[in-house]
Amino acid sequence: MNNKSKKVIIRTDKLSKFYGKGNEIKAVDELNLEIYEGETFGLLGPNGAGKTTTVRLLNCIIKPTSGTATVNGYDIIKKETEVKRVTGLLAESPGLYDKLSAYEFLEFMGALYDVPTDILTERIEDLLKLFGLYKRRDYLLEGYSRGMKQKVLIASSLIHDPPVLFFDEPTSMLDPRAALMVKDLIKKLADTAGKTIFICSHILPVIEELCDRIGIINQGKLIAIGTVNEIIAKTKTKTLEEAFIAITGGVEEKELLGWREQNSGTP
Amino acid sequence: MVPPKWLLIARNQYRISTSAIRRIRSYFLYLAIGLLAVYVGIIAPAIVNPFIDDFLAFIITHAAVPLVQIMLFMFFFFMILFPISDTLRELQTAQIEIFLAAPVKPSDVLLGEFLGKMPFYAIAIAVLIGTFTAFLTPLGLDMAQIAIIIPVFVITFLSAFWIGVVIAAVLGTKLGKIARGKDFGRALAVIIVLPMIAVLYAIIGGGLPEALANPGTSQMVRTALSVLPSSWSAEIFVGFASNPGDIGAVGFQTLTLFGGLLIFFIAALWVGTKVANRAYSLDSSSFTSSRAKPDGFFYKTIRFVGGSKSFGTVLSSIFKDYSRRLENLSWIIYAVGLVVLIRVFISDSSSGPFDQLMFLSMMAIPFLAAFVVGTVSRGKDTLFIFKKSPSGIWKFVKARLLQAWSVAVPIATVLIAVSTILIPQIGLEILLINVVWGALRVLALVAVVLGLAIINPIFAEESRERNMGIIINLMIILFATIGFEIGLSRVGLSFEKMLPHLDKFTAGVFDHLLLTMVFALVGIFLLYIGIRKLDRIE
Repeated sequence: MNNKSKKVIIRTDKLSKFYGKGNEIKAVDELNLEIYEGETFGLLGPNGAGKTTTVRLLNCIIKPTSGTATVNGYDIIKKETEVKRVTGLLAESPGLYDKLSAYEFLEFMGALYDVPTDILTERIEDLLKLFGLYKRRDYLLEGYSRGMKQKVLIASSLIHDPPVLFFDEPTSMLDPRAALMVKDLIKKLADTAGKTIFICSHILPVIEELCDRIGIINQGKLIAIGTVNEIIAKTKTKTLEEAFIAITGGVEEKELLGWREQNSGTP
Repeated sequence: MVPPKWLLIARNQYRISTSAIRRIRSYFLYLAIGLLAVYVGIIAPAIVNPFIDDFLAFIITHAAVPLVQIMLFMFFFFMILFPISDTLRELQTAQIEIFLAAPVKPSDVLLGEFLGKMPFYAIAIAVLIGTFTAFLTPLGLDMAQIAIIIPVFVITFLSAFWIGVVIAAVLGTKLGKIARGKDFGRALAVIIVLPMIAVLYAIIGGGLPEALANPGTSQMVRTALSVLPSSWSAEIFVGFASNPGDIGAVGFQTLTLFGGLLIFFIAALWVGTKVANRAYSLDSSSFTSSRAKPDGFFYKTIRFVGGSKSFGTVLSSIFKDYSRRLENLSWIIYAVGLVVLIRVFISDSSSGPFDQLMFLSMMAIPFLAAFVVGTVSRGKDTLFIFKKSPSGIWKFVKARLLQAWSVAVPIATVLIAVSTILIPQIGLEILLINVVWGALRVLALVAVVLGLAIINPIFAEESRERNMGIIINLMIILFATIGFEIGLSRVGLSFEKMLPHLDKFTAGVFDHLLLTMVFALVGIFLLYIGIRKLDRIE
């Protein structure tokens, strides 16, 4: 199906977020983006490029300096509550109540999104089973490993079954088995459940495997957008990694061991 | 030449300790020495001068040795506590991993950390020595006595700091390895100081000096404390003060005690370096983690209070997070402990109901409100959970308010009831009145403190910053209470003046109710501003 015939779920219109005196730090700079229903979109960029700021703007956690966006038809400035209801977020550095058990945390998150109690109990149990946490559901989160916490957080982003999901580095802290499970889950959410998924990740194979289209952002500006193949073709490279480096810039090979040649002595 | 490892660690520790003042780091030591010289030479003598006659009279009494023993023990104990509570507040095991991965002996790490903090310990020691010698100088001590008393104090207090550093290293490593260790450490850091506050209050208002005037009691305390090295310094201090210019009078005693102190210090150093090998280890001591029990009657009630629907779950979750943190519970214990100590030692137990009102209004209720509310959120990321959810900030503030009320009101009610019952010949009517207005004041002050806390939210994980926030909020409500009381009276809003036929207690109750209403209005206003502020935080 052609993209033009699909419903636009996320649309940004010159979305900008500036910080500092005189707005000299441009975290997101006039971002124009359209993401379609059921699409898995990946946002790539070096550290500090503006990925997390974009996600926060689209989830109404922060307000834009200028421009606007709509999520599932709701304006992020005028319809904040509605936007929050239709989105699920796995944040990059998420807050977690360490003194709650996994079950209690999911129950709490469900309550925050007004999930009816009868549905909530069943959903929590299903999610805990899905993520292999059911047997440890009553243990406090302070005793969980980082990977287990990540699973709980992914489950919490799904607790109200939102049509739009934002995953900021969803597999970065997971072991290969759990990462595979999360990737399969994301595929299923997109293919079977028809969710629109917005992923930010540094792990290029994850993006390559999961995303229908990707955008590359650098210093707040969207500098490339398209399918992986389109971006590789456009940059005349062979892999997404090479394309990413070609677009955003990198360290030249000869510089890598320059420090060693200058000071050849070792202790 | 490669410098020794302990010196490198000491330099690094000094850099860390002075990172907040790095702009003046290069001349910080000179500045400190200059200020200390001014303190020792000018300020300390000026402070002690008004008390010198009383001191001269006191030094020849039975109470002199045990009281100086107790005072020095307090300083000794505080100096042990200082590094311990400093470490427990922010347990870090990541740095230990760096040291263990490098070719460094654990004893070098311990010595390095101790020496790195030494400039700060030295400042504290210099202030104390300056104060004590300021008492001795007017007595006419000779140079030999002064030359002895200074190293005596230095060795005593350095021993205390060293013991503190060693205990802190052992405790820090042990607690840092377990899941609840950080929380346990922070909880301990809050209440560890309470026993010393009890001793301090006993000296100030508990009649301890008078009790020590009795030769029997004095001898008993003196014997009990004689095993402590701080007491050996006290004996030397009082010996010199009683025999100024005559070192021979207490020569043997001084030599024995000073020798004992030196042996104690060397032994403490040796034991510390041996303990260091056990202290710095990352072997996990526990793999167990805490488990949540199914909701019992209490949390079911909380859910019910919250409306049994979604908000009930939010409220009970916030409550669980609060009550499962030992640090929060230790703040409550600290507040109750302080109030009890003030009531027992400082406040006049035979005072009437009106004085009780003042005590409750000025001390007990503000303490409880500030310490129960604490800080708002641990990290901005936790706040973002609420910001992300629909009407999340409003739900959050409502839940925190209800949670703080549910904790503070029952505790305050019990404290107020007990405090009032202790007044001789008190009636049930006065008891009820005190409890009711006290509970109302707690409701209002909790709203004020929560409002202050969300207007100026502290998201730092570091206890030091969060504790500072709590103390600032406490100071604000303490001064506001005093200010409003004076202010309302000045503008004529005093029931004693408006309705002169009322008795003092009834007029006082009405005044407190009026003040409570003012606080309630201020609280609502601050909460409104605070919610707007949290909404805008990015």
